[in-house]
Amino acid sequence: MRRPAPATVRWAILVALLALWEFVPTTGLLPELFLPALSKTLGVLYIDRHIYFAALLVTLYEVAFSMLIACGLGILAGAVVGGVALLRNLLLPIFSSLYAVPIVILYPIFTAWFGIGSESKIAFAGIYGFFPVMLSTAAGIRTIDPQFVLAARSMGATLPQQIVRVIIPASLPTVFAGLRLGGALTIIGVVVAEMLTSAAGIGYLVTLNRTILDSPRVFAAILAILVLSIAYYMLARALESRMVVWQSAGRRQKSAPLGGAAGVAAPAAA
Amino acid sequence: MQHVANLTEVHSRTDAVAIEVERLSHVYAGPEGGVPALQDISMSVGVGRFVVIVGPSGCGKTSLLMMMAGLRQQTEGTILCYGRPILEPDPKRVGVIFQEASLFPWLTTLDNIEFPLSLRGTPREERRRRSQAMLTLVSLEGFGERYPHELSGGMKQRVSIARGLVQDPPVLLMDEPFAALDEQTRMTMGHELLRIWSTTRKTVVFITHSLTEAVYLADEVLVMSARPGRIIDHIHVTLPRPRTYEMMATDVFGRLRDRIWQQIRKAA
Repeated sequence: MRRPAPATVRWAILVALLALWEFVPTTGLLPELFLPALSKTLGVLYIDRHIYFAALLVTLYEVAFSMLIACGLGILAGAVVGGVALLRNLLLPIFSSLYAVPIVILYPIFTAWFGIGSESKIAFAGIYGFFPVMLSTAAGIRTIDPQFVLAARSMGATLPQQIVRVIIPASLPTVFAGLRLGGALTIIGVVVAEMLTSAAGIGYLVTLNRTILDSPRVFAAILAILVLSIAYYMLARALESRMVVWQSAGRRQKSAPLGGAAGVAAPAAA
Repeated sequence: MQHVANLTEVHSRTDAVAIEVERLSHVYAGPEGGVPALQDISMSVGVGRFVVIVGPSGCGKTSLLMMMAGLRQQTEGTILCYGRPILEPDPKRVGVIFQEASLFPWLTTLDNIEFPLSLRGTPREERRRRSQAMLTLVSLEGFGERYPHELSGGMKQRVSIARGLVQDPPVLLMDEPFAALDEQTRMTMGHELLRIWSTTRKTVVFITHSLTEAVYLADEVLVMSARPGRIIDHIHVTLPRPRTYEMMATDVFGRLRDRIWQQIRKAA
């Protein structure tokens, strides 16, 4: 028997899971409180679509601003800390250990400072996403092949030219990996913050409906968050592969070096 | 420094000097005080000459080349290029080609070759024209839109040579450019380099570990001692040009290679 392609298997698993979600609750094995059927969840999502849409907009707004903070400050701080040896030795260990602190313990303080509106979510999620962006930017700058900079200098590149034309493009792959992770963390941060203390947003809907034991509406909110995260991930991946063509291509190329087309046209290929 | 006349007559030389190194010494700052790396080096490279520097690992030959390129500062002595001291990289006078091709992986072949021109704000059409010409010179027509990861090791070094030549500097400094290539590719590339050299008439200073490569390519071979690096022999390679692979089997070739080897063994 021929083995099916991995992509086919992945889709089959997804479909199977959705099918289970639909049919297991109808058998009566699980009470609806634990797992309402998919169709019921989608049903309330449709009925309450205005509520969910409004909540999603609040969440998106908070995510957008906290990403701005996480990415903007993260890249800036990472570039400075990664680029200056003194700061690197002084601050990098501190930032690395701060990354390990569960920042969620700070959230009550943030609500005291910024209130329970969007500001506290933005501040909290911004800091939550800041660390991976900052650390990978620092790593990206630190791990640039020094030969690149040497070559650029030999061609007469000034310091600003070295930064803009060599250091930034060379560190893009690592920075992007950090942005992808940092962005995902800001989404988590916003939703968690909304679940803890808030009056709006998709996380708030989860908490609200949980307290009134309205399971289908809880699952509807979870579904919305799931879709949001997956959409973000796919967007980030697409953006990344557009921006750093050479990186992903280079990885693929390693296993299969210069093939047919180029090989044929290469009498000069020494 | 001793000159060798007994290996047949010395090439006719032009008097013009491209690079003049005068009493150059270099000391590294180490944890236990200064480490002498280069000691009292004087040498001159005539215009249009192909000079190869060989020496044991760690003798400071790469450092010397980096100083000629203005990428590193020596502690003592001067380096003149066409009579003017080299204090910083000057791509109009000196092109540098490194061991690793050090092409920028985010740029296509043509964009890599044009990189030095774009730093200077050369108009786009002129950049394209000149990079295309360089591409033809290194026999890579049709590979202009490829990225470095799509090229073989030898092709990357061709691009690297094209990039070094695109500003038409009179001097080309090459730091073991073929060291990372396999033997066959290396031979081909050496031959290619001689072809390019003969059409462009550059002055070349070339560093290598390979004795065969040294004799095959050079007009003159400078042998350096182990650290602190000094120049301990200066050999004129009297094989006629154009060089052919068959020459490698000749007595003269063998004697020259042996002589370099003896010197390096003594020095190491």
